[in-house]
Amino acid sequence: MSNSYPSPSEWSDHVQRRTVLKGGAATGAVVLGGGLLAACGGDSGFTGEIGSASGELTFGSNASDPAPQAGTNAIVAAYMAQNPDVNVTLNFLDHNTFQENITNILKAGEDDVLSWFAGFRNKFFADQGQLGDISDVWENVSGLGEGFKAASTASDGKQYFMPTSYYTWAVNYNKDVFSEMGYAEPQNVAELTALAENMQSDGITPFAFANDGKWPIQGTFDILNMRINGYDFHIDLMGGNESWADPKVVKVFETWESLLPYHMTGANGRTWQEGAQALQDGEAGMYLLGTFAASHSEELAAKMDFFNFPEIDPAIGASSLDAPIDGFQMIAEPSNEAAAKELLLFMSTKASQDAYLGEDPSVVASSSEADTSGYNDLQKKSAQLANAATGISQFLDRDTIPDMAGACGDMFAAFIEDPSDIPGKLADLEEKKVAIFADFNS
Amino acid sequence: MITSVRSRVFAQIFLITIVFLWMIPIIGMIISSFRPYSETSSDGFFSWPDTLTLSNFSGAWERGDMLRHWLVTFAVLVPALFLVLFFSSMVAFAVSRYSWKFNIALLMLFTAGNLLPQQSIIIPLFEIYNRVPLPEIPFLVNSGELRGSLIGLILIHVAFQSGFCTFVLSNYMKTLPKELNEASMVDGASLWRQYWQIILPLTRPALAALATLEFAWIYNDYFWAVALIQNGNDLPITSSLRNLSGEFFTDDNLVAAGSLIVVAPTVLIYILLRKQFIAGLSVGANK
Repeated sequence: MSNSYPSPSEWSDHVQRRTVLKGGAATGAVVLGGGLLAACGGDSGFTGEIGSASGELTFGSNASDPAPQAGTNAIVAAYMAQNPDVNVTLNFLDHNTFQENITNILKAGEDDVLSWFAGFRNKFFADQGQLGDISDVWENVSGLGEGFKAASTASDGKQYFMPTSYYTWAVNYNKDVFSEMGYAEPQNVAELTALAENMQSDGITPFAFANDGKWPIQGTFDILNMRINGYDFHIDLMGGNESWADPKVVKVFETWESLLPYHMTGANGRTWQEGAQALQDGEAGMYLLGTFAASHSEELAAKMDFFNFPEIDPAIGASSLDAPIDGFQMIAEPSNEAAAKELLLFMSTKASQDAYLGEDPSVVASSSEADTSGYNDLQKKSAQLANAATGISQFLDRDTIPDMAGACGDMFAAFIEDPSDIPGKLADLEEKKVAIFADFNS
Repeated sequence: MITSVRSRVFAQIFLITIVFLWMIPIIGMIISSFRPYSETSSDGFFSWPDTLTLSNFSGAWERGDMLRHWLVTFAVLVPALFLVLFFSSMVAFAVSRYSWKFNIALLMLFTAGNLLPQQSIIIPLFEIYNRVPLPEIPFLVNSGELRGSLIGLILIHVAFQSGFCTFVLSNYMKTLPKELNEASMVDGASLWRQYWQIILPLTRPALAALATLEFAWIYNDYFWAVALIQNGNDLPITSSLRNLSGEFFTDDNLVAAGSLIVVAPTVLIYILLRKQFIAGLSVGANK
């Protein structure tokens, strides 16, 4: 399983970008290796060139927040400007309902193109035969590194996903508080603990902590596990191939327990927005969360900066992190396959990603060809962090079976309430894991 | 005498306290719908408002695309309401005005339908809906199937509501004198005419009461729409409210404003037709 995730240095693929796409995207007439790959069209009518499909296309999106919604509209407008023969009908469903109803939405087959997540969650439906193979689209793609391709590939070695953007999880902090109090970004866990001690003596809670919905603190587990046991172990654990009762996992929770006194108490009843507010007000000094924390308010966005969670074990280092990739997929039996594939191809291009990022500056483009000159500091830093990473995970609730993510959420919530009997809690979780995976594989 | 005054005072205090407790969430929702998100997030939900603004309402109206979703709601509600009342009044007419071997059985079948939880049939219903093709009709059928179409929603409302309506209408019709039918039969009125011109006009109070109740119930439906409609554009207004929440961030004040806009028609209908509402609650209760 570990080989299906974007690996490190492959995120940007500069050589390919310069040779294949010289200025083509900028003029709007994107012809991506068209001549070479025209034979890949097959029965679907997809030619690998944007502008040859026609007819009606339906597109279901989970972008219910204003900025992503405007961005998605901009993608469709830019596509229809390049190919006026395709009429795209876009419909939005709120993010959580979309996620919960994905099985029904796929069964319904009403939308040819759908928003979704890279990695395990895409592979899950691809392996069930519910998604359409878009390998021929990938043959025409440029500017997406091998890591992205791996995160879009199912068990049969074919691609079923078009990654368009991602964001990172890191330790966010309030710049004003750091400069006022003379704090510095810690380089290892000893410095992190010393910083937390300092904050406590200054009357600041070191870490904001919120867990309403039982997903936010999964990010804390992910990073601690990757720092203590490494990326491969983390991915194998998520995939059900390692035991939760392993002493290695016990060690993660022991470390977490030693850090808990630096966190806000009562996290299970607090929304992440309340945690972000504490960071904004300077009540808390740091907050381990996705960079979407900045969407809480303009004030926080202006004050916020972040650093990579520091090294715990020098042998493991600090070069892996959660960076969930968002993108799009096609249903197994689309009513307009040629147009669906053409839109997915378009989504991989600079024209599409620039159009999207113009409206939603909270994420980073997947294409190495996208225009980064408009990036704000947070985007630049996210891109740097992800490009330097040797292991990128998708976040616990995207890296494992939904039921397992739920079981983890329950266990983590119980753990932060009462950190006693870690081995017992983990043995219970392992028992649940065995049942959930047995059910899943049957 | 003194004790009755004292008990009355006690009862009043009790009632005022209960009313107050019940009103807290509603008042909280109304107040927060006028407050900007930044204020409630920094000062807390229970704080004295500094700024009052209508921007949540305009925001909810635009982001929720409410006009469109209202059109969807009424495209489902109006035909469903008429069909329910029409069909159930015919069944009620048959089982209440004529003695027939299966009268009781038929009435029981319809009444039992009320006891069936909606959730229990959703999976087979979804699979059936998925297998019934329909021609594309702009607005009403965009999916090419019963599933995902407004016609499918209309049908399931008619099916589920007709049990209760039949029960109420048949009880009401039983109170009308049998002689009406006999006299009209002697005058040569056909069965249809007896139903349409004699009995139905006399059932008007019950129909009006039921129509107001059914309006509120179908308007407020959430379950069927969420389960059967996959296309975000085709959701009725109550279920489309979800589109105001985002992936990570949900502006609760915006949702409060959106909810107030959505409940406005039912509140208005209640105020205009409260007589029928109250009649509706006791309709068929006595003979």
